[in-house]
This record gives sequence, structure tokens and C-alpha cells, in this order.
Amino acid sequence: MTIGISTYLIYLAISVALTIWVARTLHKNGRVFLVDVFHGNDALADSVNHLLVVGFYLINFGYVTLALKLGYAVTSAEQSIEALSVKVGMVLLVLGGMHFFNLFIFSRMRRRSVQHNQPPPIAPDAFTAVRQEA
Amino acid sequence: MFSLTVLYDPECGLCRRAHEWLAEQSKIVELNFVPCASDEARRRYPQLNHDLTKQDLTVVGDDGGVYFGPKAWLMVLWSLVRYRDWAYRLASPELLPTTKRVVSMISQNRYQIGRVTGLNRLTR
Repeated sequence: MTIGISTYLIYLAISVALTIWVARTLHKNGRVFLVDVFHGNDALADSVNHLLVVGFYLINFGYVTLALKLGYAVTSAEQSIEALSVKVGMVLLVLGGMHFFNLFIFSRMRRRSVQHNQPPPIAPDAFTAVRQEA
Repeated sequence: MFSLTVLYDPECGLCRRAHEWLAEQSKIVELNFVPCASDEARRRYPQLNHDLTKQDLTVVGDDGGVYFGPKAWLMVLWSLVRYRDWAYRLASPELLPTTKRVVSMISQNRYQIGRVTGLNRLTR
């Protein structure tokens, strides 16, 4: 096995492991948020949670796959480590970006659901008698 | 609160257009539209000053709370799924004076706005 092939394989191993770790963290800790958003409807929360994680995997594995190519020959261990640092660094940044985007979605969903039960923003000017519908 | 009654001015094109737009929006709180100072309005709210409701938009909650002018607009926004956060934002102490000024200006000039934009003729 040449050093170039090993570099690619190490890159794939690290990227895939990182993606799985982040996705699992998101899956495990996002559930609480979603259950709250959907007012304790566990089935719906689990479903949305799962769908979000699938999207997360698709985008990240897509990026990892597209970014695989180095474009130059790696001949020494030194070059290999340098190449890995750039590639894995990019994967980490993309994962970080995706992660915060997911958090943003969670918090927005939660804010919306909390607002549904909030009182009017202003007090009425007066009160009047209401004749009930016949 | 589960429903709001909107006492709107049936003579104004802008209000009718707003009414159509509101009918399409998804709501958290149900909106009932009743022309202001109509028999129906007087039947529902026998103690309300109906001459006043002709001057500006009035919203009455199912608890009898009366919201007049800019407050009525905010309550209508508050009833909509997509605009509830805007209602809170516009009702915040920093923005409320501006909200009131802008809404009053639109409200007082609603016939002119309707005429300029052709809305008065459109639905007649």
C-alpha cells in the first residue's frame, strides 16, 4: 500500500468516525428538545429527530466524499500528515457549521412552540360584555 | 384566549384586501370578521361604543377585552402562526411608539391609500 492510499484511507476513517460521533450526539441530545416542541408526542419527535440525522449524514458524507481528492502525489509521511490536517480540518469546520445549523433549527422550533401558549403582547384598552352565541 | 372578533370597516378597500389576506393565513387564534357598527356587531357587543369602532380597527377577545387602533393590529398579528413573534417584537417598549405612529398613519389615511392603489375599485 502506497503512502498516498494510506492517506486517503486514514482521511476516510477519521471523517466517517467524526461524522458518526457528531450525528449520534445530535440524535441523543436533540430528542429532549423535540419532545418538548411536539408537546410530549414522542413518536413524532423521534420521527423528526431521525429525519434530521439522516439529512445530517447525507450532507456530511457527501462533503467527505467530494473533498477526498488531494490533487497532488503524497510521497512522505510529513506530506501525508499535512494533507490530512487540511482535509480533516475542513471536515471539522463543515461538521461544526452543520451542527450549529441544527441547533438553530431546534431552538427556532422550540421558540415557536413556546409562543403558541403565550399571552397577548399588550393589555386591552377596556372590557365589554359579550353576548354569547345563540 | 381562543377567538378574536375583528370589527373592520367594510367601506375601505385596503381593509377588504387585508381581510382577504388574513383569511389565507394559518392562525393560532380564530378570527371572526364582523363589519363595524353593523347589526351583528351591535348584537354581539351591546355595551360597546360603536361610533368609535368606525374610526379605527377594533378587536374584541372572547374574554371581552377591547383592543383599539394599533393594539388591534398587534392582536391580529398575534393570532397568526407566522407573525406571532413579530407581534411581540413590535409591542416591545422600544418599538411600540413607532408601531403606533405608523399604524395610526396608515389607518387614518386608509381611504386615500385605497384610492391611490386602486383597491377601492378593485373589489367593488
